[in-house]
Amino acid sequence: MIRTIAKKEVVEALRDGRFRWAAGLVGVLLLIALAAGTRQFLDLRAQHEAAKTETRAHWLQQGKKNPHSAAHYGVYAFKPKTALSLLDQGVDPYTGVAAWLEAHKQNDFRYKPAQDANTLARFGNLSGAIILQALIPLVIILLGFSAFAGEREQGTLRQLLSLGVPPTQLAWGKALGVGVSLAMIAVPAALLGSAALVFAGSNGDYGAAWPRFAGMAASYVLYFVTFIALSLAVSAWMKTARGALVLLLGFWVVNALLSPRVAASLSQRAIPAPGAFQFARNIELDLARHSDGHDAGKHTAKLLAGTLQKYQVTKVEDLPVSFVGIRLQDGEAQGNQAYDARYGELWNQYERQGRLQEALGVVAPFLAIRSASMGFAGTDFSQHRHFAAAAEQYRRYFIDVINQDIIQRAGNQGVYLRGQDLWSQIRDFEYELPGAGWVAQQRALSLAVLAGWTLASLGLLLLATRRLRLE
Amino acid sequence: MLQALNLSKAYGNQVALDSLNLSIAAGEIFCLLGANGAGKTTTINLFLNFTAPTSGQALVDGLDVIQHPLESKRRLAYIPETVMLYRNLSGLENLDYFASLGTQQKYTRSQLETFLQRAGLAPDAATKRIGAYSKGMRQKVGIAIAIAKQAKVLLLDEPTSGLDPAASNEFSELLTQLSREGVAVLMATHDLFRAKECGTRVGIMKRGRLVQTMATSEIGHTELEGIYLEHMRN
Ligand SMILES: Nc1ncnc2c1ncn2[C@@H]1O[C@H](COP(=O)(O)OP(=O)(O)O)[C@@H](O)[C@H]1O
Ligand SMILES: [Mg+2]
Repeated sequence: MIRTIAKKEVVEALRDGRFRWAAGLVGVLLLIALAAGTRQFLDLRAQHEAAKTETRAHWLQQGKKNPHSAAHYGVYAFKPKTALSLLDQGVDPYTGVAAWLEAHKQNDFRYKPAQDANTLARFGNLSGAIILQALIPLVIILLGFSAFAGEREQGTLRQLLSLGVPPTQLAWGKALGVGVSLAMIAVPAALLGSAALVFAGSNGDYGAAWPRFAGMAASYVLYFVTFIALSLAVSAWMKTARGALVLLLGFWVVNALLSPRVAASLSQRAIPAPGAFQFARNIELDLARHSDGHDAGKHTAKLLAGTLQKYQVTKVEDLPVSFVGIRLQDGEAQGNQAYDARYGELWNQYERQGRLQEALGVVAPFLAIRSASMGFAGTDFSQHRHFAAAAEQYRRYFIDVINQDIIQRAGNQGVYLRGQDLWSQIRDFEYELPGAGWVAQQRALSLAVLAGWTLASLGLLLLATRRLRLE
Repeated sequence: MLQALNLSKAYGNQVALDSLNLSIAAGEIFCLLGANGAGKTTTINLFLNFTAPTSGQALVDGLDVIQHPLESKRRLAYIPETVMLYRNLSGLENLDYFASLGTQQKYTRSQLETFLQRAGLAPDAATKRIGAYSKGMRQKVGIAIAIAKQAKVLLLDEPTSGLDPAASNEFSELLTQLSREGVAVLMATHDLFRAKECGTRVGIMKRGRLVQTMATSEIGHTELEGIYLEHMRN
């Protein structure tokens, strides 16, 4: 019975010019967004791969120089992009995907497209995620708002119910019908997307991509089912199709247009985080209170005294280790302390803001799907932080290798130069994104909120159809 | 087949139906006459369980329509003043849809075509979209649904009002045929002539009360009209 009902709904939708137009339009937009995303993704990956080999080659071939100069010469670390990021760029345009690692500095992120683009370009970028999160719900509303209310107005509802059709079966059939109509838009795009995924993942990383893909698909299914059930419930509840449409469009506006702005300003108000300028200034002030490795201040005098005492000598020249190296390493430790404290604070604030926005998903499921989607795409803030932490660990490792070399071998007189034998001692930066399980754990709140919406909206649909009114 | 036991319905303090007692057997065509607002539609809605009675009981084939909302409906077919169908589907598709939901079985295309033919729909009309149907054609699809459903009971709410005399006559003949096959019919109508022609019994309803019931075989046209007008006058 459910299948019969679903089939009739699909046939009617297909014969309805409005649906054909809307579906065609959204389908085409989705394909364009996918194509653009794939292209961008492939370009970016090719760039990264080239840059990665190049940065290593440059590092190895930088010639003879003082190791500390080499530490300032620096290296790039690239955050790997999942193929799914072609659908959902997440926060990448704002945080950047390449860390510049050198002595003294932490978290110097480069390549932030959002920084360069003007506002128009930022919103003009029609991503797959926006289509899935905002446009598809609109199509669902158009498919569903008249499901019951329209039949009520046409009088076919009386005819149907006089047959002895259980209203709940009618609801499931109609829900399935909307789902199938939707699939007609989404499936061609999904197939091409999967093809793009396989194509893009051709050099091996796509085995790991499937669990993420499954997680993302499941999240979107929950989101779409929520909208299908809500549309049908409202259609069953409201007297007229017009009333149902107005109510649903109102919800859509709140969900897709208002909620991101309101959530952003609410979370900033609840958990104030400093702006970029203020943050940079804070760091600067902190660092000024410490020596940074080049500075000859009071701190250096104290450090020298301590070192001389440790080695039981009276002059720098008599030290068995290089005092320059010790000073550099000390400066690094001081800097790390300042950066760790400030960044730790900032990132905890961001993380808490993110959690608050996820929780606000209770009001607008858009917030929950947005965060789940970028989570599985590997482009959320948590994964930016995960990568930044790994990059920072690597930075400390290679600065430490260099400083230890200076301490042990540079002595305290004359020029000290090293060549490739030292550069090649430093292993290359290797990083893998955490798995889908880690993401699911990080985004548990969003996933729970999505599941809650799905259950609640299905419950609402059951309730509304049990009390299905005829007039 | 159809039974009303002290069936009453009030909307607020407005009594729409007042202790109706009625029993319609298989093969009977009971025509319910009465002015607008007499309570005819209310009676039919109560049998369909579309509204809940204030008191009393409505039974279809012995089943209480409130306790058996689905089973009781499976035994009946409902044809309102205008049978409402899906505009974007053809007559055949509409029949297919309603028949498979009403019977939970799948008819073949030729079976469906036979039903439409029996209901008097021209074969070339069957594949046209409902948007192009006249009212008479819609009513025929309604009859075809009832035939496909093998309904034991027909509930008809002014099914012929607005039909031209020929179509109206055709409709009555179909009813007579179905009743010969054992279908019980309850028809609300304003058409005294048709009621006398095809009905086996007529009942006159006034302000929610069934004031008089007669067998059509025992009275003539003019007599029926006289009685009806008499009731309407006071
Ligand atoms: N949903 C309703 N709400 C309030 N009053 C109603 C409703 N339906 C019918 N009525 C009233 O009940 C009475 C009987 O109506 P109805 O059964 O439709 O009459 P008929 O079909 O014989 O013309 C009328 O007075 C009508 O106004
Ligand atoms: Mg009426």
